[in-house]
Amino acid sequence: MVDFSLTEAEQHLKAVAHRENEIGRKYAREYDRNSENEPSYIRGIHPDVAALESPHAALRRGQNQTSGLVIAEALMDMVSARDVNLRDTGEDAFGSWMLKDYGTEEQKARYGHLKLAIAITEPSAGSDPANMRTNARYDPATDEYVLNGEKVFISFFNKFDGAVTLMKGEPDAKGKTPFVTVVVTKELPGVAEIPQFQKLGLRGHELSGFHLQDVRVPAIARLDADFGKTMSKFNHNRPLVAAHALAGARSMLDFTHAKLAEGGLKVDYAKGRSARGANEDKLIRMEALWEAAWGTVMRAKWLEHQMGSESHGYRVEASVAKALGGKVVRQITQGCLEILGPQGVSEEYLAEKWFRDVRIADIYEGAGEIQRILIARALLGYKNELN
Amino acid sequence: MISFELSEERQIVRSTIAEFGRSVLRPQARRLDTDSRIDDGVLTQLWSTGVIQAQAGAADDEVGARSPVTNAIVLEELGAADATVAVAMASTMGFVQAIADQGSAEQRSKLLAGFTGDRFQGAAVAMMEPRFGFDVSEFATVAAKAGDGYVVRGVKAMTPLASRCSHFLVIAQSDGAADAFIVSRDAAGVTVAEPKGALGLRALEMAEVTFDNVAVPSAMRLGEGNGADIQRIIDSARVGIAAILTGLSRGVMEYVIPYTKERVVHGVPLAQKQIIAFNIADMHIDVEAMRWLNWRAAWELEVRQPATKTAQLAYTYASQQAMRIADDGLQAFGGHGFVKAHPLELWYRNARTLSVLEGVAGV
Repeated sequence: MVDFSLTEAEQHLKAVAHRENEIGRKYAREYDRNSENEPSYIRGIHPDVAALESPHAALRRGQNQTSGLVIAEALMDMVSARDVNLRDTGEDAFGSWMLKDYGTEEQKARYGHLKLAIAITEPSAGSDPANMRTNARYDPATDEYVLNGEKVFISFFNKFDGAVTLMKGEPDAKGKTPFVTVVVTKELPGVAEIPQFQKLGLRGHELSGFHLQDVRVPAIARLDADFGKTMSKFNHNRPLVAAHALAGARSMLDFTHAKLAEGGLKVDYAKGRSARGANEDKLIRMEALWEAAWGTVMRAKWLEHQMGSESHGYRVEASVAKALGGKVVRQITQGCLEILGPQGVSEEYLAEKWFRDVRIADIYEGAGEIQRILIARALLGYKNELN
Repeated sequence: MISFELSEERQIVRSTIAEFGRSVLRPQARRLDTDSRIDDGVLTQLWSTGVIQAQAGAADDEVGARSPVTNAIVLEELGAADATVAVAMASTMGFVQAIADQGSAEQRSKLLAGFTGDRFQGAAVAMMEPRFGFDVSEFATVAAKAGDGYVVRGVKAMTPLASRCSHFLVIAQSDGAADAFIVSRDAAGVTVAEPKGALGLRALEMAEVTFDNVAVPSAMRLGEGNGADIQRIIDSARVGIAAILTGLSRGVMEYVIPYTKERVVHGVPLAQKQIIAFNIADMHIDVEAMRWLNWRAAWELEVRQPATKTAQLAYTYASQQAMRIADDGLQAFGGHGFVKAHPLELWYRNARTLSVLEGVAGV
């Protein structure tokens, strides 16, 4: 039955996530200013939350009383901006997840203890992985692969041990070049880490990259995770990217409501559009954008819960959630700063930070344009006719 | 528990109404617009779906039989075929539901029976008023206490199928608050004007209804002594309109897709141009988003949670995006979108018309 009620467990999970975000708020500015220079200066568990129930643990424990684990996770993610991650749980090691899912027992024994990032993007290959230059050449003499190339925009590479890296293999008999996935660890000769990227926002999300010059890895480093398998992870992640950004937009909207209320404007949803002023109308339209996006995230996550995360059956809905979420957080944060006026851009408040932070959501994990191509192809029955 | 699961019953309702829309309503939509009238045959067929009778027949304890979520699904399907006919049903539904929801026992037993028969019976919530800047937060129509009853005075605008209504639920200012009064079409002082024609939804024959000192007994004040929850009527109407706009938008998208795949421009199908393909993707994104937001508002109405905020947001979002979708759809057809050989120009007019109305629907 169609139902939008939240279980008690879900309300509790949202409250736990919200509390954690509120505690982190007082470190948000400092972290925003410094984290790129002092990566991960919050390591382990911050003392402020050491004695408190962790949102992750609460989710694991309470998942049976929710609408579904992936649904509850998204609900928690959307509650408010997570400016600072007060617990370094290692759960952001996306490459380690890949190894767990696709590695052989031998590979897990060899690399399982490492924290691995995932490396896909290159300076000239972002949304178009076919353009990738990084490559692996097999050397039968030593049973090794020889790696060359460059990877950028790698999340948390600076603090991890290496990366599960997507690259081009050698052309087969038909001249087709397959993608291969290789575990690259930092200590290998020829791996050169590049400095952290300085960026517009999301500065607590550390981002770096590496060069590969004639790096030799044993054949066992190659995972049986083809590009399609790598991409299947996107179905799970894309709505979450939207959810994280919606959390920033949620905090922005709540802040804007609060500040306008101090000036005497309380939004009235009952009356019609002829009876409201410009700011009130704009806020209502932005709330509508937010709730519209919320619905598409929930839809994608509900389908994922029904079909299983690995399914491709909800890929269009995952793209819908990502495309709409990415779009509305831009509109909402831009619009709120316009309403808030000069005071809103001051670093005394976090509004300007949220404006910067959410902007990446329409770019990473498949830019809005890529999502639209995927959606349009599905609607039009196209493959490469549309690119 | 978050769920988008449609019960088997709802799936059947959806596919039945969808088929009815495709085979019966869509082929006649242009003719209805041209005639500026919904003929009795179409209304009879609409009535034979049994949707309105189901609302009227539901007893107090059978909330399930009167389901806003199901009704939102029905209105989307009707809206995808012809928004005009969808409003014809939704408008009567709005009246019937207000009585079923908020009427006293006597009002329900006296009035609802009139909507359980075999023939179409129109009725409407008379909410909007003929002045620029009208808003549902302020009514110029007044109901003044007079002896045992009330005297209703004012003019209502854009009332759907006004000449075919047996009753109006007149929303009027009374004793400092908005209230609702059940007025028979035949009551002394009620005048239904000739329709002036309108940009869209032309076949609805939306007309002004004048209430010139109409005497209304206390027994016909909705809810009698308790008065009525006008906001719930407004909320329900907003969700109903949003559902029809969702359907209208989907109809546009489904019509645009085959055309743009067939139409070759500069050597390639139009749909292979990113600007067109992206517009189509955005139509789909918005139709999905509209529907889920709207289901949520309908669900809140169904479980009797406060629904005012979500209903407003669903209405706001659907109004804004449906207009854009109809606009982009017309543009994709170029000159063919502007001429009457295709329905784009009709949907363009209907989208703007429907999205500025209030109170003309119910779920």
